[in-house]
Amino acid sequence: MRAAIRDRRSGLRRNDLEHCDLDTWIGRVEGVESVVLPEAVAHLHSRNNQLAWLGLQQDGMLDSIAALKEQVGPDRIGIVMGTSTSSIGRTEEAYRELLPSDEMPPEYRQPLVHNLHSPGIFVQEVTGIRGPSLTISTACSSSAKVFASAARWINHGLVDAVLVGGVDSLCLSILYGFNSLELVSADVCRPFDRRRNGINIGESCGYAILLREDLADAADLFLLGYGESADAYHMSHPHPEGKGALLAMTQALQRADLDAKDVDYINLHGTASQANDRIEAHALGQLFMAGTLASSTKGWTGHTLGAAGILEAIITLEAMRHDEVPGTLNCEEPEEDFAFGVTRENVHKPVRYAMTNSFGFGGNNATLAFGAAHD
Amino acid sequence: MTDVDIAGIGIWSERFANWDEFRDALAGATPEAAGALKPELIPARERRRAPAAVKMAVEVMDQACRMAGIDATDVATVFGSGMGDMQITDYICRTLADAPRMVSPTKFHNSVHNASTGYWSIATGSHLPANAISAHSNTVAASLLEGAVQAVEEQVPVLVALEELAAPQPFRSVIETEEPLATALLLTPKGHAAAPLAALSLGVRAEAADTPAAMEIAGTGFSDNFVAPLLPLLAALAHGEASTTALPLSSGSTLDLSLEFATAAKAAQA
Repeated sequence: MRAAIRDRRSGLRRNDLEHCDLDTWIGRVEGVESVVLPEAVAHLHSRNNQLAWLGLQQDGMLDSIAALKEQVGPDRIGIVMGTSTSSIGRTEEAYRELLPSDEMPPEYRQPLVHNLHSPGIFVQEVTGIRGPSLTISTACSSSAKVFASAARWINHGLVDAVLVGGVDSLCLSILYGFNSLELVSADVCRPFDRRRNGINIGESCGYAILLREDLADAADLFLLGYGESADAYHMSHPHPEGKGALLAMTQALQRADLDAKDVDYINLHGTASQANDRIEAHALGQLFMAGTLASSTKGWTGHTLGAAGILEAIITLEAMRHDEVPGTLNCEEPEEDFAFGVTRENVHKPVRYAMTNSFGFGGNNATLAFGAAHD
Repeated sequence: MTDVDIAGIGIWSERFANWDEFRDALAGATPEAAGALKPELIPARERRRAPAAVKMAVEVMDQACRMAGIDATDVATVFGSGMGDMQITDYICRTLADAPRMVSPTKFHNSVHNASTGYWSIATGSHLPANAISAHSNTVAASLLEGAVQAVEEQVPVLVALEELAAPQPFRSVIETEEPLATALLLTPKGHAAAPLAALSLGVRAEAADTPAAMEIAGTGFSDNFVAPLLPLLAALAHGEASTTALPLSSGSTLDLSLEFATAAKAAQA
C-alpha cells in the first residue's frame, strides 16, 4: 500500500465483478475468491470472511495478536469490527439458487454467516480472543466508530486491549444500490476535481490493536480523540452546511485537546460525489487554515464503505510513521470555488497530529484524531 | 461493574403495543390484534417511505423518552439488531437475482443498519452520536453493555433500541424468528434522572453462558427472537422486583445484569 501511494499507482480497475454489468471502476482485491479459510472456520465461508482472513495475515497481525494474548490474556481483549454489508454477498448467492420451496440450498445454510455480525464472529473464532465482541454497522462510518467504542471500553476498564477492524467486500447490493441513486461513476473517481461525477466502489480490510496506554511501552502512535455525530438531515444526502461533519471534527479536536492549527494532515472522506466533496470542503474551510495538508485517498482505493474508516486511519497512521503524506490521486482540475483546497501531490513532511473523516448514510459521521510520539 | 439507571422504557410487538399493554399481557390479559404501526414522531410523508423495521424502532425509542420525560435531542442512541432488516435484505437479494437494475433507491438507502437511528435523528433533530450494532444472538447483551459504557464514559443518556423482525422464508433456513419484537431502554448516568425506574448494574464474567429460555407472554415465547431473552428482565422491571439475568456476551464471556429498585420507587408502576 505504501509503495502504491508513493508511486501514485491506483488499485482501481474497470468493473469485472462477476454478475455485474455496470459501466464503472472498482477497487477489487486480487485473489480474494481463492483465499482458503482455516478448517476450523470453514463453516464461515463468504467473500467477506475470505477478505477478513486475508487481512489478518498482513503485516504480522496474527503474531501481534498472539503476543497480545500472552501479554493480557484472551479474556481481557475485546473485538469491535465495522462493516456496512457484512457477508450479504453470500446471501445474494443463496438467493440466486433458491430452491422451489423458497429455501436456501443446503450448502448456504450458514446461520453465523447471513447476519451483520459475521465479521465479528469470524475474527473471534479464528483468533481465539474471548472478551466482548460486537460489529458496528453505520454505513460508511462503521470502522471509524470502532475506534471510539474501543477507546471507551479501555477507558472504562472493561478490557485492556481491543482488536478493531473493518471489512467490506464487493457485492451486487452495493454496486446496484449506489447505481440506483446515480452515485456511481463510469469514470475513475476524481475527488475534489470539478469533473467528478460519482464514486467507485472498492473492497478492503484493515485491523489495529488499541492497548491501554500504560501497557503499551513501545507504542509510537496514539488515538488522541474521536468525534461522533448525526446530521439529522437526510438518509442519503449530507447536511447542506456540513453541520454533522463539523461537529464530528470539532469534537475530535476537543477530545484530543488540539487546536485546528495543530493538525498537520487530514485524510478526507472525499468520495468524489458532487455533494460530499462540496460540503466537506465547506466544513473544512470553517475550521482549518488554507494550506493545511488534506487529501482524499479514494483515487487509490475507491470507496470501501464500512471498511473505509479503518483503511483511511491506517493510511493516516502510515503517513505519520513515514513522513509521507498522500495527495489526492485523480484530482487534476481542482474545484476553484471550494471553501478549502485539497492537497493534490504527495508531500514529504513530518506529521505529528492527524485526523481522518468518515461520513455515512443516515447522516452518520465520525472523525478520528491521532498523534505520533516525539522521536 | 457498570452502574446506570433505567429512566424510560418502550416496547412493541404485534401482541402488545406499549408498556401498559405489556404489563396487562403479563397479568394475563388476552391481547387484541395490534393495529398498523404509526409512530407519531415520523412525519406522515416520511412514514410512508420508512420500512417496518424503522417504524418499530422509532416507536419504542419515542415511548422510552416520553416515559422518562427526557428530550430526544439530549440522548445518544445505540440501535442493536442481530439480523437487521431482513425484509429489505430479502427484497434486495430477490431483485438482484431477477433484475438487478431495478433495485429501488429508497429501499437501498433504507437498507443501512443505521436506518432507524438515521430516521430518529432526522425526526428529532438530534445531532448526538448514533450507533448501530449487531452481535448476532448476543445482540441484547452487547447493545446494553455498549450503551451503558457510553452513558458512563461520556456522561450522556443513551437510548438503547433492540429489535428483531420475523424472518422471510429464505432466511428461515438460518433463523426461525416468527414474530417481531422491539424494546428500548433509556440508560442514564447516575444522578442524571431525578426519578429513574430502576438501577441497572452490568458486569462481565469471563466464562461462556447459554442463552436463557424466553418466558411465554401473551401466548408466545417469541421463538428464536434474539430480543426475547430480555423479557424476564422486562417483566421484573414491570413488577418492580429486583432480579438478576445472565446473558451470553461472546463465546468466552457473560453479561450479568442486576436490576434494583430504590425502596420508595416502584417507579415502573407509574
